[in-house]
Formats: sequence, structure tokens, C-alpha cells
Amino acid sequence: MSYLPLFLWTSNLVLDTVGHVAFKIAAAGGREDIEAQHWWRMAAQPWLWVGIGCFVLEFVVWLAFLTLLPLSEGVLLGCFNIVVLMLIGRWRFQEKLTPWRVAGVALIACGVALVGLGR
Amino acid sequence: MKRFYLIGFGLLMAFDTLAQLSFKWAGLHGGDPTFDLPWLLRVFAQPYIYGAIIGYIGAFFSWMVLLTRAPVGPAFAASHLEIVSVLLLSAWLFGERLTPLQWLGSAAIVAGILCLARGEAEAEAELADA
Repeated sequence: MSYLPLFLWTSNLVLDTVGHVAFKIAAAGGREDIEAQHWWRMAAQPWLWVGIGCFVLEFVVWLAFLTLLPLSEGVLLGCFNIVVLMLIGRWRFQEKLTPWRVAGVALIACGVALVGLGR
Repeated sequence: MKRFYLIGFGLLMAFDTLAQLSFKWAGLHGGDPTFDLPWLLRVFAQPYIYGAIIGYIGAFFSWMVLLTRAPVGPAFAASHLEIVSVLLLSAWLFGERLTPLQWLGSAAIVAGILCLARGEAEAEAELADA
């Protein structure tokens, strides 16, 4: 992989991870109801907007990445995001890495890679 | 909690799938992708692109509700069940051929979701015992 696709892929990985972590911070501790007040409270948190900003940027980066490489390689590389986010969840939110969780995440990451390879 | 995850991930998968299928329909009915204003107007004159927008908005709200309780790492992995539903529906609706590797990958994703579900059920039982 040459430098530009590598840069775009790394940017995608970082933006995707930061975006989901920001959403988790904005949502954590909230109630899972559908009351408007809950959503207004969430909208007042800067982290929600950090997350939205990351995904807007990621959209552009992903588009640029796919102009250089086929979609199959994009899907294949998507399996890294799954593993990175699990590790970040452990570090940032102290999420438990139980054997079932590790096995589940590993199987899903392999499955995504296989789907990418199979295109 | 089990009901919360079932409904949450079910809705997330449904909205994500709706978005992807709608994008495909919008692309098919938008004519040649010339990436100019007339092409955009053609795309937005069809109902399909609005299905994609509804899909994205619905997926965003489902995801945010799920994150109030679900751990982000396993939840993000579980959200990839959408790949399986999109693959199966693409084969049915658009006649796309699924390769053996894609079948194998889909089976691995479903097996992974079952592992995560088992793990959450055990964690919930431990919490209830404590």
C-alpha cells in the first residue's frame, strides 16, 4: 500500500474510533427512553458534536480512499476498526474483556475480513 | 436487558440495511453518475434516496440509545450484523451472487454475535446473583 491510501486508511481508523468513543461519552449515563428532554440534554454535550464532526470527515476520507482502492479492500481493512474499538473501550471505559466477548469480537472481525476477501 | 438489546440491535440492523439498499436503488435509478447538479437532481427526484436518509437518521438514534447501556467495543462489533442482512437481501433483490467466502464470513459474524449474546447473558446472571 502506498503512502496516500495508508494515510487515508489510518485517518479513517482514527476518525471512526474517536467518533464512536465521543458518542459513547455523550450517551453514557443517559436513559434509554425516547423523551425529547433526554435528546436535548444529549445534544447539549460537545462530545455528541465531536462524534458527528468525525463522521462527516470520515465520509470524505472514505470516499477518497475508495477512489484509490477497491471496496473489497476497504471492507477487509474495516475489521481492524472492530478490534481497535474493543481495546479502546477497555482502556477508556474499563469494559470487561471476557472470553465470550473476545471470541465474539474476533469471530466478527474475521467474518468481516472474509466477506471483504470474498468480493 | 435482553429485550433492550434485541429491540435495539434489531432496529439498528433494520435502519442500516434500509440505508444501504436505498442507496443501491437510488444509484440504479439515478442514471449515469456524472456527479453534477442534474445527476443530483435526478437522484433526489426519486423516493429511494429518502429511504437512505431515513435509514441513517434511524440508525443514529438507535445507536445512541444502545450506547446508554451497551459497552461500545462489543456493541460496535455486533452492529456488523448489517453486513449479513445486506448480503442476503442483495442476493434476493438484486440477484447478486454470494461467494463461498462471503457465506463463511457471514456465518462467522453470526457466530460472533451469538458469542457476544452468550457473554452478556452470563454477565447479567452474575449481576443478578451478586
